[in-house]
Amino acid sequence: MAALSKRIIRETERLVSDPVPGITAMPHEDNLRYFDVTIEGADQSPYEGGLFKLELFLPEDYPMVAPKVRFLTKIYHPNIDRLGRICLDTLKKNWTPAIQIRTLLLSIQSLLTSPNPDDPLANDVAECWKKDEAGAIQTAKEWTAKYAKKE
Amino acid sequence: MAAIPRSFKLLEELEKGEKGLGSESCSYGLADSDDITMTNWNATIIGPPHSAHENRIYSLSIECGESYPDKPPTVRFLSKINLPCVGTTGVVDPKKLKILNLWKRSYSMEVVLLELRKEMSAPANRKLSQPPEGSVY
Repeated sequence: MAALSKRIIRETERLVSDPVPGITAMPHEDNLRYFDVTIEGADQSPYEGGLFKLELFLPEDYPMVAPKVRFLTKIYHPNIDRLGRICLDTLKKNWTPAIQIRTLLLSIQSLLTSPNPDDPLANDVAECWKKDEAGAIQTAKEWTAKYAKKE
Repeated sequence: MAAIPRSFKLLEELEKGEKGLGSESCSYGLADSDDITMTNWNATIIGPPHSAHENRIYSLSIECGESYPDKPPTVRFLSKINLPCVGTTGVVDPKKLKILNLWKRSYSMEVVLLELRKEMSAPANRKLSQPPEGSVY
């Protein structure tokens, strides 16, 4: 495997020693570019009380290209599809090498508090969200209780 | 090279398949679009011209196990076909298809499908008599 850049090593050390509140990220022992991530659903959001598992991979060209991230826990959200793929500008056109793993995970956490049904990835979810926001929020709460229960 | 984990490799393959960026002579997609493990796939191969397979469309199933892409996928024809590397139940024998036997992590489902198509049009195989069109295992 290619040597890890100093930047990746530094970022990893800080993620582990000085974690962001509500977020954990641990590299796999056999692949230090591959992280197990958890994000707690924010208070006052439909995801409150949930613990969401994600996976994150730093491609060969990181930080010139964005990390790859997806949800492993099922989540009812207009910008996250059924396979856990995330629609977030920071991961695509707004990526810059100045963004770190921790900042990226923070933007994913805040996406959970502020869904954006006008730029959807999960079309069926986004439509429900626009037509019946209260109902959609209720479903999101139910899914959180069902799939994202803390162990 | 940084070893890409199974799920992100499969997501890349899925995106290529969904957007139709790959070859036109085969296609593939998730059997269950809700399957977060992305294990079971459906695929088709369009029979190569100038062979007994011309104008036929073959359906296949592909299973990418937990060790994919370190280990090759399991490939199975659903449409009946007479081809030396395909067993009596439609399963492709990994020992008889070089690309599965000498598998590399950089390969993909598409590479396997194209290799099977190449087998269909190989001089030794292209005239083999075939089961009736549309028959399945």
